[in-house]
Amino acid sequence: MAKHHVTTTINGNPVEYLCETRQTLLEVLRDELDMTGTKEGCGTGDCGACSVTLDGRLVCSCLVLGVEAAGKAVGTIEGMAEGGGLHVLQRKFLEHAALQCGICTPGFLVAARSLLEANPDPSEEEVRYWLAGNLCRCTGYQKIIEAVLDAAREMREA
Amino acid sequence: MLTRTKDEEKTLKVVGTRPVRPDGEPKVTGLAQYGADFSLPGMLWAKILRSPHAHARIRAIDASRALALPGVKAVITGADFMEQPFEYVGPERVAVNYWHMTRNIMAREKALYEGHAVAAVAAVSPAVAAAALKLIDVDYEVLPHVIDVDAAMAPDAPLLFEDMITRGVEPAPTRPSNVSKQIDFRLGDADAAFAAADEVVEMSFKTAPVHQGYIEPHACLARIGADGQGELWSASQGHFVVRAYTAKLLGMEIGNLLVHPAEIGGGFGGKTVIYVEPVAAMLSRKTGHPVKIMMSREDVFRATGPTSGASMTVRIGVKKDGRIVAARGVFRFQAGAFPGSPVMNACMCAFAPYDIANVHTTGYDVVCNRPKAAAYRAPGSPISAFAVESVLDVLAGKIGMDPLALRLKNAARTGTQTAYGPKHAHDGYAETVEALMKHPAYKLPLGRNQGRGVASGYWFNGGGESAATVHINEDGSVVIATGSMDIGGSRASMAMMAAETLGVPYEKVRSTVADTGSVGYNHVTGGSRVTYATGIAVVDACRKIIDDLRGRAAQIWDVNPSGVVWEEGHARPASAEVGDFAPLSLKAIAAKRAVTGGPIVAEAAVNAGGMAPGFATQFCDVEVDPETGAVKILRFVAAQDVGRAIHPSYVEGQIQGAVAQGIGWALNEEYIYDKNGRLSNAGFLDYRIPVASDLPSFDVVMVAVPNPNHPFGVKGVGEVGIVPPMAAIANAIQQATGTRMTELPMSPPRLLAALDSAEGA
Amino acid sequence: MPPAQPARVVLTTGFSQRHTGGVKEFSVEPGTLRGVIKAMDARFPGLGDILEEETTVAIDGEIHEVVYSQPIRPGCEVFFLPKIESG
Repeated sequence: MAKHHVTTTINGNPVEYLCETRQTLLEVLRDELDMTGTKEGCGTGDCGACSVTLDGRLVCSCLVLGVEAAGKAVGTIEGMAEGGGLHVLQRKFLEHAALQCGICTPGFLVAARSLLEANPDPSEEEVRYWLAGNLCRCTGYQKIIEAVLDAAREMREA
Repeated sequence: MLTRTKDEEKTLKVVGTRPVRPDGEPKVTGLAQYGADFSLPGMLWAKILRSPHAHARIRAIDASRALALPGVKAVITGADFMEQPFEYVGPERVAVNYWHMTRNIMAREKALYEGHAVAAVAAVSPAVAAAALKLIDVDYEVLPHVIDVDAAMAPDAPLLFEDMITRGVEPAPTRPSNVSKQIDFRLGDADAAFAAADEVVEMSFKTAPVHQGYIEPHACLARIGADGQGELWSASQGHFVVRAYTAKLLGMEIGNLLVHPAEIGGGFGGKTVIYVEPVAAMLSRKTGHPVKIMMSREDVFRATGPTSGASMTVRIGVKKDGRIVAARGVFRFQAGAFPGSPVMNACMCAFAPYDIANVHTTGYDVVCNRPKAAAYRAPGSPISAFAVESVLDVLAGKIGMDPLALRLKNAARTGTQTAYGPKHAHDGYAETVEALMKHPAYKLPLGRNQGRGVASGYWFNGGGESAATVHINEDGSVVIATGSMDIGGSRASMAMMAAETLGVPYEKVRSTVADTGSVGYNHVTGGSRVTYATGIAVVDACRKIIDDLRGRAAQIWDVNPSGVVWEEGHARPASAEVGDFAPLSLKAIAAKRAVTGGPIVAEAAVNAGGMAPGFATQFCDVEVDPETGAVKILRFVAAQDVGRAIHPSYVEGQIQGAVAQGIGWALNEEYIYDKNGRLSNAGFLDYRIPVASDLPSFDVVMVAVPNPNHPFGVKGVGEVGIVPPMAAIANAIQQATGTRMTELPMSPPRLLAALDSAEGA
Repeated sequence: MPPAQPARVVLTTGFSQRHTGGVKEFSVEPGTLRGVIKAMDARFPGLGDILEEETTVAIDGEIHEVVYSQPIRPGCEVFFLPKIESG
């Protein structure tokens, strides 16, 4: 069966790929484009490890088909650091020890960036509820929340 | 022989601070490579066919239609793996039996659980591999199954192994059963001692099996060459163990298999064993191409882990003044399809925080039709603690004693006799209780439907084999390499201990995890052993380097090495008599390495003993919604004796993570089976682990009673935090509602049913 | 010179039932752990390998891996425990 030729933008760069109808955006990113920063934790949209943005909207890439990215702007973890320096969130995650094994970290960072774009001054509760779609088994979430709140503070002061 | 001496209490410059971990940038930029992130040219994709039946004889497997599918390169079944002898090898408690292991990797005579691997396919794409699975015909003879541990022990239960005779019983039983082993620990005479008690409580408990819940499914890439040598990239808690098991099952010499440690996305014990590595390796051998496997989340639930479900009876007797005089525990644990539940740990840990003269624990290791149990954070101890700490709570109520005071009165200290044999050699437990008694929140009043619960826990902590290499680079910077997988920041703590020992800034020390060809044997990252044992190896290697550096400086100054000391990262003359020499930095000595003998390297290896156990005491405040049975955690305070925290953030992180897992175990997590023994909730949607909005921030209290056997006083911290939460929450629910829950999980439907029936009673 | 006070070897109930006919305690000459294991193996042939491979040892309560050179002082208690799994 012929593959689809998809033209899209990923992290601001024009990208073209071939994919089968059934392939998810997650599979395309990882298996066709070697962008393994986005992780598969469940494949069914329950864990958030595959979080990316699609036209600025936070989605689970395992629930999006590769063909659906055509003509849209995809944002992944690989595009988060800015010009040789880390994004504030990435820095804060490191400073606050908000990662232990790190497998959920790309998903959390993408989700957290999305939160702060929508709400630059969230309360702790708002952070916890926004990030409820991202599972972490190592940290108990506490240092993740602290890192996000600290990043939000620094971004507001900038 | 290197003597291990306790560092004087000088001011520590690096240990105890909170620097950024050296492997942090790749992890926050998506560049760190986990088990599923590797590829090689010509790589094939493999998928595994799994039994849809909980118990079935496999009469025949016909893969011809699958092999005919274009793009399919090989199919394997259990028959492709060589037979292994039936014998229990090594440690008695979790003795490895390769006869069992090879059958767990791929079934032979029988499928023993839904999800049991029966065949595997390697193909040019994941889609072709998946299509090929559907073309493999397996002729099953479905058999009656049994899952619940009590049902599996019943005399008429379906048998998993028709020749299983219970070990540990004298005389041996004449009829087979599903009880693989029975064990017993006795101290004094518990049965007789109950007569002296003023209050005796006996209760029975049941817990459901739970999964470690790591977010990363098992994955690996294998390349086995026609010359018999191979490489494996695998996410595991111990690549040396992966190498040993995989080589054994494939009939390879250990030295012919090189295992690269991929980063690991969580393990908690569940990745100290192998599932996909031998399958990928066998397919690679058969096809001559690299083979990649990644388990689906569904397969992870159906076929890996979990820890045991259990049925327990605990009886404790106390005097009116709170002294515990007798304790009896009977623990029946599910082993899953092959023997090896953590019931022995449960028997040994159950009463270990307490000084009790008469203790008797009995354990049963019971096979049943579900995946083989794997270690889960302090394996066995959280389960028996749920029972013991609940009974202690009931007794505290009966004699009108504060539950922390009851524990302090009976606290084990150095010299206290354990039920499993030796005397305690370390303090730390009483300090955790006292820390909570002093905690400002412990006396805070609570409102309607709210309650507070207390519980304690114990875990042995591990030592064992580790090796570390230290190199001084040409510019004086330092690289250390160990073979301990970094699950939660250990590269940072190794670098910190090295920097402290060498007297150099943390940023000058780089810390790596080396493959099996580049460093000596390291046992698994688990058992709360790495900061302890691998830390000792790192410090020992650094001390060897210091001796070498002193010798080099002596050559440079042309003096006797006894005239050189190492202080604050520099070689200095020991006294004015030696000479007026400016101190030499690592950089200066490294610049002269060639003329003084060549590269500056050292390796150290240990089989570490002298580790101290983990003690934890926790209290939590809950609020129960009487309409829904939902439990909200209002506050959670966790005290733990950490010895000394090398990197306090990562120590806090271990405790926070352990408590979060305990909360999930207490309130929601369980395997739900249908009447055919098939798992109904094989995914994160319905196997509900805590999410960020479920939890408050926790209050971690790190008590520090240093362990003199470690250069920095370290005690293992990773595991014991998961031992108390279930009982702490059950005790809090009891205070909030008057209802005592004796089954886990205490999920809303179960709690609601218990509240409703209590009301009607 | 009077002989050094013997060390006490202690086994768990289950282990003793399986390997030493139910006897749980033994007196052995102090020295090293290697010597202790050899002495036990002399009394119960084959027991040496089992002690080396399947047990951990608590020496006066302090837990150690079974390592030959481990010193065993006069009068100390040498408790052979089942090895422990980790997670």
